[in-house]
Amino acid sequence: MEEEDDQKVSDLIKELVLRLLSQNLTPDSRPIDPNSSDFRNSLRYAVRILSSRMTPSIAPDAAAIAESIKRRLATQGKSSEALTFAELFTKFASKSGPGSVNNKWAVLYLLKIIAEDRKASNAQLDSSLLLPNLALSDTELDNSSRVLRRLGTKEKGWSNGVLWVSKDPGNRLEIAFREFANLIKEENEVCEEVLVRDVLYACQGIDGKYVKFDKNADGYVLPDSVKVPRATRVMVRKLCELGWLFRKVKGYITESMDRFPAEDVGTVGQAFCAALQDELSEYYKLLAVLEGQSMNSIPLVLEKACSENYLSLRRLSVWFAEPTVKMRLMAVLVDKCRVLRGGAMAGAIHLHAQHGDPLVHDFMRRLLKRVCSPLFEMVRSWVLEGELEDIFAEYFIVGQPVKVESLWRDGYRLHAGMLPSFISQSLAQRILRTGKSINFLRVCCEDRGWADAATEAATAAGMTTRRGGLGYGETDSLETLVDEAAKRIDKHLLEVIYKQYKFKEHCLAIKRYLLLGQGDFVQYLMDIVGPELSEPANTISTFKLAGLLETAIRSSNAQYDDRDILDRLRVKMMPHETGDIGWDVFSLEYDARVPLDTVFTESVMAMYLIIFNFLWKLRRVEHALIGAWKIMKPNCITSHSFTKLQRAVKFQLLSTLRRCQVLWDGMNHFVTNLQYYIMFEVLEVSWSDFSSEMEVAKDLDDLLAAHEKYLHSIVEKSLLGESSQTLCKSLFVLFDLILRFRSHTDRLYEGICELQAR
Amino acid sequence: MDPDAARTARESLDLTFHMSNLLDTGLDRHTLSVLIALCDLGLNPEALAALVKELRREPHASSLPATSTAPSRLS
Repeated sequence: MEEEDDQKVSDLIKELVLRLLSQNLTPDSRPIDPNSSDFRNSLRYAVRILSSRMTPSIAPDAAAIAESIKRRLATQGKSSEALTFAELFTKFASKSGPGSVNNKWAVLYLLKIIAEDRKASNAQLDSSLLLPNLALSDTELDNSSRVLRRLGTKEKGWSNGVLWVSKDPGNRLEIAFREFANLIKEENEVCEEVLVRDVLYACQGIDGKYVKFDKNADGYVLPDSVKVPRATRVMVRKLCELGWLFRKVKGYITESMDRFPAEDVGTVGQAFCAALQDELSEYYKLLAVLEGQSMNSIPLVLEKACSENYLSLRRLSVWFAEPTVKMRLMAVLVDKCRVLRGGAMAGAIHLHAQHGDPLVHDFMRRLLKRVCSPLFEMVRSWVLEGELEDIFAEYFIVGQPVKVESLWRDGYRLHAGMLPSFISQSLAQRILRTGKSINFLRVCCEDRGWADAATEAATAAGMTTRRGGLGYGETDSLETLVDEAAKRIDKHLLEVIYKQYKFKEHCLAIKRYLLLGQGDFVQYLMDIVGPELSEPANTISTFKLAGLLETAIRSSNAQYDDRDILDRLRVKMMPHETGDIGWDVFSLEYDARVPLDTVFTESVMAMYLIIFNFLWKLRRVEHALIGAWKIMKPNCITSHSFTKLQRAVKFQLLSTLRRCQVLWDGMNHFVTNLQYYIMFEVLEVSWSDFSSEMEVAKDLDDLLAAHEKYLHSIVEKSLLGESSQTLCKSLFVLFDLILRFRSHTDRLYEGICELQAR
Repeated sequence: MDPDAARTARESLDLTFHMSNLLDTGLDRHTLSVLIALCDLGLNPEALAALVKELRREPHASSLPATSTAPSRLS
């Protein structure tokens, strides 16, 4: 078979040469004789040419070649011909089976080169430049001739003779080119197109034929066994940096996607991966275009009319400049964000976006828009609906399950770690408060009106209550939305608190009952309850006291008060030890239910209790003194009693009585002034301050703060605070003294009355 | 060759001839058929194209001197 093929080949070659030479003939010359020596020489030459190049320099891909031909036709302005060519190629390529051409690519390539050569020769180029390796020795040409230097070609055993036929010194340029071309061929074991293709593979993370990933050097390198000049090696290494960066980014994406099912990566992380993948798809597009171009062979020496784009290592480095910048950015971000999640990740990426280069800025903006969209969505749903769906714990507001009473104070708080840096602290506080208010309204107040307020807020801020509509870079619109929502929700909350739950009325009631503002009621209460409370504490029954409380209420102006308020007023007996009498353990308490117990918490009520005890003691002392006066005031009994007694005794008695009077006066003066001070300077003033603050309060936090201030000022000013501990002690000592005085005077005057009776 | 194969061959040749005209290669049908046959037999198309180009140059340049200084050998 081999010989048959060979015979066929030589026959065909002969035929070809004959035909080609015949084409060149002018009409009047004789036809070519196949046996002439001219013909034979031509034949020999033909065979030489055919033997010298055994393997083509490009990959046998018919479709790619057809593409490049079509493109060339199109760029030459012959677009209709390009379409026709495409049709023909499709028909040609579809033919298969016996009788069809097997190496279709070879035919196409052949046509392409012949066309190019023809064009080139028509453009009056010196076509000898295109055949660096072959030479025609021609000593009889009178135009420029070429120098031939033949390399030892491999299998056919040509001699390695060097032949210098130099006629024209001006040919130096061609000589130089030829030498250069040969030098390149010597130095490079691998030709440049293969390297370019390997680099393109490396930039997608795949090992090429020669360029492989080296774990020790941590990069894509040409192994030392491949013989290329150092410049090429360095350039390949530089271009493969892009491959290394790509590997890192792709590795992160794959890793994250593997972790998705484990719910380890949050929504922000997922968004980040999605954005990275989008950017990578752009990158893939570029690589596809470059790969298409890499099919064209690189001319070794620059031609003046280069018809197609080829791709050399240097051109590749120009193409890769921009993608390298982007890929480097992505790799840096990937490193940063490997351990972060949620708002912290968004904050870290935001820091990188503070960059002056417009390319980087745009890129980061696009990325951040995707990454922050889950966060903004969370903010929107929190602010407009009070919903907190945070499965991956990425949000900067953390909720915890608490009892209903402490929902406002402890139910939600800010998590500073997850707060991204483009949301300021004050904005975060407002966001927290708005969502808290909605939840508070929903849970504690059982109110539904907040939904209307929310929709109003949304329309006022120009967006709907559905998803979407907010993105990164629109922090202003976020602020507007939050502000509008906060304004309306706060207003609604305060309305509910004031109107539905009558906060003001309850505060007033506490003042009147717990802080003893309702004078007549207190008086009656003391009158009735007084004798009871003188008994030891463990004999007193709370029910009896409660009944007495009711009586007191009914007999004073307090009976006209709201039934709801009066229901909350109760008697409370504090835990007592032996030896205590009722006075020490008696107190009143006010039952503030949800939602007002957000304001009137346990500790607040304990404060009220302390103040009440103090005031109650003061009142008791006053009551005692008034009782003493009733006995001590000048009356018939005392003035007429001493006539029967002896002089000395009378004098003593009278002086004692006088001293009692003086003492009483002093005590009375003291107590009155103290009472006045407490009632007017402390209680009323603080109350008016608190009222005016209640008027201007904008939200529940303001209200809470105002109430705390009110209580605090009362405590401090009535000398119950820490700074006046000693003063307080002396006061209580004085009160005790006064009470003892009372009991003594009681006994004294009893004695006198007895004396009178005898 | 059976008629089907012959028809396929003829059609392929037609298509190729049409393509080569589009590309303005200046090859006539017969030369093209020889070239296709050579390609099919496995010869390097680059070499064939080079050959075509060389042999198509100026008529006077294609006539070689009788004595060639380079040794050659027929394959």
